[in-house]
Amino acid sequence: MSSDRILCKFFVHGSCLKGDNCGFSHDSKDPPNNVCTFYQKGMCFYGSRCRYDHVRASSDLPTPPLTSDSESLDRSLSTAPSMSFQRQGYDGDGNNHGDKSSSVYCVHPREYPLCSFAAAGDCPRGNQCPHMHGDLCATCGKKCLHPFRPEEREEHTKECEKKQKHIEALKQSQDIECSVCLDRILSKATPGERKFGLLTECDHPFCIQCIRNWRSSAPVSGMDVNSTLRACPICRKLSYFVVPSVVWYSTPEEKKEIIDIYKAKLRSIDCKHFNFGNGSCPFGASCFYKHAYPDGHLEEVVLRHLGSQEGDSIRLSELLGGLQIF
Amino acid sequence: MIDFSRIQKELQDCGRDNDSSGIRVSPKADDLTRLTGTIPGPIGTPYEGGTFQIDITMPEGYPFEPPKMQFSTKVWHPNISSQSGAICLDILKDQWSPALTLKTALVSIQALLSAPEPKDPQDAVVAEQYMKNYQVFVSTARYWTESFAKKSSLEEKVKKLVEMGFGEAQVRSAIESSGGDENLALEKLCSG
Repeated sequence: MSSDRILCKFFVHGSCLKGDNCGFSHDSKDPPNNVCTFYQKGMCFYGSRCRYDHVRASSDLPTPPLTSDSESLDRSLSTAPSMSFQRQGYDGDGNNHGDKSSSVYCVHPREYPLCSFAAAGDCPRGNQCPHMHGDLCATCGKKCLHPFRPEEREEHTKECEKKQKHIEALKQSQDIECSVCLDRILSKATPGERKFGLLTECDHPFCIQCIRNWRSSAPVSGMDVNSTLRACPICRKLSYFVVPSVVWYSTPEEKKEIIDIYKAKLRSIDCKHFNFGNGSCPFGASCFYKHAYPDGHLEEVVLRHLGSQEGDSIRLSELLGGLQIF
Repeated sequence: MIDFSRIQKELQDCGRDNDSSGIRVSPKADDLTRLTGTIPGPIGTPYEGGTFQIDITMPEGYPFEPPKMQFSTKVWHPNISSQSGAICLDILKDQWSPALTLKTALVSIQALLSAPEPKDPQDAVVAEQYMKNYQVFVSTARYWTESFAKKSSLEEKVKKLVEMGFGEAQVRSAIESSGGDENLALEKLCSG
């Protein structure tokens, strides 16, 4: 039975949001599907009070495999040692399901949803809960790891570890003071101010506002922009750009990661100086922003030829990088 | 816009450990834009034993602009004007950095007192004397320290005035009413 010939149950109530895109029929002459899908999955709470028909799944449904043998469910459950799923709640109650209770349509346990209480932390019903409880995630302490969905477990564990790492980093960043305003950066008044400004060449912490203010301040007479304003206020090492970050790093690898993410983000934004080829960007090939033409192709990097004997081409940025400017 | 919260923090910080360095900063008025810094003369220099007052004016752009500092106590030093008290120090000009504070600037001035740079002078007369006649320079600097940078104690002032022939009780009240100023007290005693 194809679904487009089955009457949409939302349409019957006048509340189908999908309209013409609905996969079910919006013609009231078509027969309605009154089969309880929860019962078919083996867990309808309403039992005999259910307004839908409690019939066995018809054989034309594709996967998951059908079985009328409740023992096989038992087996599949017992092979999953981590599963704390209680079955009594849905098929143990013979009175509710009457003579149909012995023939439960069994789906693969990976199709069972997790108990939402357990997924949010812990379920007060404990072992009495009719829903499946996930395994404990060691990182977040919630029983949210689905015992039969390995990809989901892995994804959650990864996400969770990432979050945990971020929280750790935030904790460690908490006490770091900006050497300019002398405030703790993460305790500043507005969220926009609670950001670090990383200098690429040294590891002295500043808040993003202070370091940007300093670098853009009008030089006092005699002040050299490169040796003073663009230099770290503490060690006077020259950095060409500042990277904003919500956390401070503890290792050079972390710093590199923060810088790389920032650069990648900028590279996805169109350069307003380049303006899709209509303007000219003063930063040229060294610009962090995207230089793309309206048709999407990127600007070709034009290498400047240095009048050297070998005739080697060299990028200006490489040339500058090679010079030791202090 | 001046970052007043930073100035306040700096003042607290100075108040915390003034015992070890002897460097103090205090506001002149309530608005924190005009401050007074005090540094002790470095030991082993002609400035030893003196206490030097420095007038500090905070510019609008502080801490992104250097604070304006000049000596209000007269000093004999090649890099400090003997007339105006203006200081020739790179960190107060083109080498300023917002990571520097009033305290670190005052420490640098103290260091300047111990290590003059006669080749980059503020006061040409003093610098010339320093280069050509170092002994005279040292004694002049010491004399200036004795005369302008030393505050004699109350007892010394009383003793001095009593020696001039005034009654001790009279002297004490005169000094007290003139706020500890010896010369003002003497004027008061003389006038009546």
